[in-house]
Amino acid sequence: MTDQIRQALRAVFDPETGRDLIAMGMIYDIRRQAGHAEVTMTTTTRGCPLTEVLRLGVQAALLAVPGVTSAEVTLIWDPPWTPDRIEPLAF
Amino acid sequence: MAGKHLSRWTLVWFGSAMAMLLAGCALGLLGAADPQGWSQGSNLAVVHLFVLGWLCQVMLGALIQFVPVLAARPLAFPGLALPALVATSTGTLALALGFLALDGHQALQPLFLLAPVLIGLGFALVAVMVTATLWHRDSLHLAEVRMVLLALAALVGLWLSGGRMVLALAGLGPAPDLSAMLPLHLLLGIAGWLGLAACGVTYKLFAMFLLAPEQGGRLRGAIFWTAAGLVALLLAALLWLLAGGSAGRATALALALLPLLALLALLYLTEIAQLWKARRRPALEPNMLWSRAALAFLALAAALAIPGWLWGGTWAETAVFVALVGWLSTLTLAQLLKIVGFLTWIQVFAPRIGHQPVPMVQKLGSTRAASACLALWCAGTLAGALSLLGASPAGYRLAMALLSLGALGVGRELIAVRQLAHLPPAERPGQLPHLMLPLLHPRPRAETRS
Ligand code: HEM
Repeated sequence: MTDQIRQALRAVFDPETGRDLIAMGMIYDIRRQAGHAEVTMTTTTRGCPLTEVLRLGVQAALLAVPGVTSAEVTLIWDPPWTPDRIEPLAF
Repeated sequence: MAGKHLSRWTLVWFGSAMAMLLAGCALGLLGAADPQGWSQGSNLAVVHLFVLGWLCQVMLGALIQFVPVLAARPLAFPGLALPALVATSTGTLALALGFLALDGHQALQPLFLLAPVLIGLGFALVAVMVTATLWHRDSLHLAEVRMVLLALAALVGLWLSGGRMVLALAGLGPAPDLSAMLPLHLLLGIAGWLGLAACGVTYKLFAMFLLAPEQGGRLRGAIFWTAAGLVALLLAALLWLLAGGSAGRATALALALLPLLALLALLYLTEIAQLWKARRRPALEPNMLWSRAALAFLALAAALAIPGWLWGGTWAETAVFVALVGWLSTLTLAQLLKIVGFLTWIQVFAPRIGHQPVPMVQKLGSTRAASACLALWCAGTLAGALSLLGASPAGYRLAMALLSLGALGVGRELIAVRQLAHLPPAERPGQLPHLMLPLLHPRPRAETRS
């Protein structure tokens, strides 16, 4: 069931690098229970001005998945993001 | 709220700085920045339009925007940003006009005396915002954060030295030896304030744009402590001089610090080179490509500091020129193009993310336009440095022309970015953002359906 969500998140792009959030390794965890979807994510830098923008983007993408009626997106920076999280072929 | 980390007045700071840069370039082109007569009031006016109006203002505006990123905390006292901008910009204009009093325009003397007050007020307001944002247990262990705070300490010294020289030139108070004060003024302003602030900011900014791992290891700690020692010595020498100490000793100390400064630049460049090697982003945008030119100018300025230390005169003048025009200005111009694109993107496209396709940030700028004007700027710097060393007035005039063209080009490109002129018409929003006026925080569209 989380596959659909992963696919939806592949369509949310980091506007700075042009890569999607999964390729950037910014999605830490995806959970789904019936119509409720939960995502835990991070940003490359804690103070990044795009933080809230990306959170809202993920939220909107989740709500666009058929069957999802509520969504919760949590931002965490522990563990911090590192470039090692980027998918090998992303660049 | 999307964009809560954005300072509303950033673009006005940048616009004010760009206006002063263009004014400085135009006056330089008209011959008002003549290397043969640095102590003339009109020359001092143009020099300070450039260093205070352009470099200091752009740095202050950038810090207000960037310290929340450094500290991962919202900006403290955001309401002070506008009064600070009004104070620094009017203070700079007052100082520039006031310098003309030295050329016999006595009526301008009151402006000369008012200028340090306004400039000091502007500096103090920004220092309060920046310090209150950065001063926190979670951020003070970061060397780059401490480096920005150290830069503010140097800014205090810069203001004290500048203000004291204004009083002396206006004939107030016992005249200190200006030739002893000037080296301290320059070192505190260029290396201490602008230089350390640039280093602190670039550590983080470069890592973000290059997608390089945060390093900040022992080397950065060593750089910070060396810099702290330098700033402490400079401030001590300044206080000694202000208290009536011997001018000879203060100058000797300032000069003795030059090789250490060159070493510091080398260490910083070594660390940035490591960051560059570790980057995950292979294709770079003009802001980073041209930052390399800026870093090369830093290396050149550090190299010129050695003959400047040994022989002074033209060598020292050229080192100062390369540091201000080559390193700090190229770096700022290149990053300004990127940052304005980034802020514009957030303003226009943030509310659409997840709902509609959005362009990449880099689509807002033109690589060709950015590279062309930055190339002109760098060529102007090289021509300027060579003409200073070779005492060639014609070469210097050519340099001023190249720099003016480069600055005009950057100005034009910044306007194009704000007007989203490089985007295909279909991707432009119905209503363009205002060129400079407050960045309004974009309001997110419907948040949930639940
Ligand atoms: C980063 C900031 C600054 C830099 C890089 C800077 C740089 C310079 C330079 C290069 C000179 C020598 C110019 C020449 O010989 O023609 C100079 C002189 C001077 N500066 Fe600044 N300046 C800065 C800020 C200030 C401030 C804030 C003030 C006043 C509040 C000030 C007041 C003066 C005065 C009065 C002189 C004349 C000294 C003399 O006649 O020998 N400067 N500055």
